[in-house]
Amino acid sequence: MNIIKDMIQTKYFKKYFLLTILFTFSIKAFSQEDGAKIFKQNCTACHVLGETKLIGPGLKGITEKRDKEWLKKWINNSSELIASGDADAIAIFEEYNKVAMTNFYFSDEEFEALFAYLDAPPVEEAVVATQAPVIAEEKMSTSTQLMIVALILLIFIFILTSVKNSLKESLGQETESVTEAVKSNILLFLSNTFNKLFVVLFLAIIILKFVYDAMMGVGVTTNYQPEQPIAFSHKIHAGDNGIDCNYCHVSARKSKHSSIPSANVCMNCHASIVEGSIAGTTELQKIYDAVGYDPDSRTYIEGYEQKPIEWVRIHNLPDLSYFNHSQHVTVGQLECQECHGAIEEMDVVKQHSELTMGWCIECHRETEVKMEGNDYYTSMHEKMKQKYAGEKITVDKIGGLECGKCHY
Amino acid sequence: MNNILTKSIFIILAIFLSSCDSDSSRGYEFMPNMYRSPSIETYEQHSIKNFDRLPVNGTVSRGNLVTFNYENNLEGYLSAGKNFSNPLVNNDKNLKDGEALYGMFCQHCHGATGAGDGSVQHPIYSAVPHYNDSKLLRRCGVPMCDLEAGHIFHAITYGLNAMGPHASQITEEERWKIVLYVQEKLQK
Repeated sequence: MNIIKDMIQTKYFKKYFLLTILFTFSIKAFSQEDGAKIFKQNCTACHVLGETKLIGPGLKGITEKRDKEWLKKWINNSSELIASGDADAIAIFEEYNKVAMTNFYFSDEEFEALFAYLDAPPVEEAVVATQAPVIAEEKMSTSTQLMIVALILLIFIFILTSVKNSLKESLGQETESVTEAVKSNILLFLSNTFNKLFVVLFLAIIILKFVYDAMMGVGVTTNYQPEQPIAFSHKIHAGDNGIDCNYCHVSARKSKHSSIPSANVCMNCHASIVEGSIAGTTELQKIYDAVGYDPDSRTYIEGYEQKPIEWVRIHNLPDLSYFNHSQHVTVGQLECQECHGAIEEMDVVKQHSELTMGWCIECHRETEVKMEGNDYYTSMHEKMKQKYAGEKITVDKIGGLECGKCHY
Repeated sequence: MNNILTKSIFIILAIFLSSCDSDSSRGYEFMPNMYRSPSIETYEQHSIKNFDRLPVNGTVSRGNLVTFNYENNLEGYLSAGKNFSNPLVNNDKNLKDGEALYGMFCQHCHGATGAGDGSVQHPIYSAVPHYNDSKLLRRCGVPMCDLEAGHIFHAITYGLNAMGPHASQITEEERWKIVLYVQEKLQK
């Protein structure tokens, strides 16, 4: 007995006791986390942790509604349960159009963890659902910032001079006004002939530069960045989530135009994802308004008159020139980014390239023709290789600079 | 003193003027009717009646004969799996095309190796099953690794669970190429 007493009194025992407590707690926390993992890996394709239906029913409070043994049987093999004539099971099977649930053969520990997770679903998911839509703060452009700084400085100067004037007045000294001071200084500056010449030249250069820029900018819409009817972010879709450009712009590979995806392509994912990461539900609701979808019941509204989404066109070539996407994407094997810039980093898309004739020609002079795997033109390509032996075969050598290629 | 005042005012005005720019306007156009022509361009609005009518029922566009006549329900899914098989030859070209198409249309959810670990981060798409999974029985009674070509084709055409229908994006031939690639490379 004494030995045990001694053991209890030793600090080692205390240490081990504490460790054991810590260990049990960590196991508990681990099982909760495990449940979350099991749920995410197996259930989320068809169930949400709320009340809404996805493919199957929402699982909020399911562990209270159903007996745990019944749940185990259902998850392990629902068709067996239905075949055994269980009334609840048959009712659910009928309600969800006789779609059988996948059989998950979880172990007892896994069930334990999953039920622990379903008993106490994490709070933040509920918070996310009720959070007010956060609209991304509009960033002020540097130009507006500069303007504001300039204005503040101007106001500052006038305030300072008026303070100085009132101080001088109280001392009985002569006051000065800003406008007069500026005027007299300008006149003094201009009284010198050399200065006069300098000013005239300076103004002339500035005006010429403005005129030149304006002329060169006619028909060039680089950096054009209009506001779109839906604040769709390419950065989130193509950048963060790594969705291929061709997934939405299907016809870029096959036709003259790179198609603007119709709303059904949005709905491929957004029939399930009803809340965006930036604007919450406000922007997605615009798609649902266009196609007639009810995100609460996750069904399409019958007899709804669908409206098109009126996207604003950014890239527009004049009718005098012909451009074909498939020719560049499929045959030329160009990456979209070579002309459109790093779209996957843009929240709001802007025009990256000039789309002028000089820009086209420059690229046609530098880009090598990709001849591999193009069996149809094998003999032609062989002849080209003989003719231009030792030289790079660029697009202009196969007629990429012919007027009639683009203008007809 | 007055000199400094004048100079500072000029500098501020220069800043003010140099800060004029705008990205939300298209600027000047040399020949506006070349950009907005009287002929109707793709996606353009117009007021012509009956211009946007759908083709007559039963119309087949060239090279796009629809051979897949199974309905969008469980019976259709099961019978497609039983009766519909891949008409494509299993050769390198078809496999290569299939791989490229899989990269465009499937990879961001299903993952490069078919493990369901694609780049899409939303929790709804975290439960994408592995193509070579041999444990869990699916609604057709077999696990993922034994899905028939018709099952996969039906799923691409009409969607399945959280996956949407992809018929408008992928032609039948392209769908078969994807099916071929999935069956040859990812289910094994």
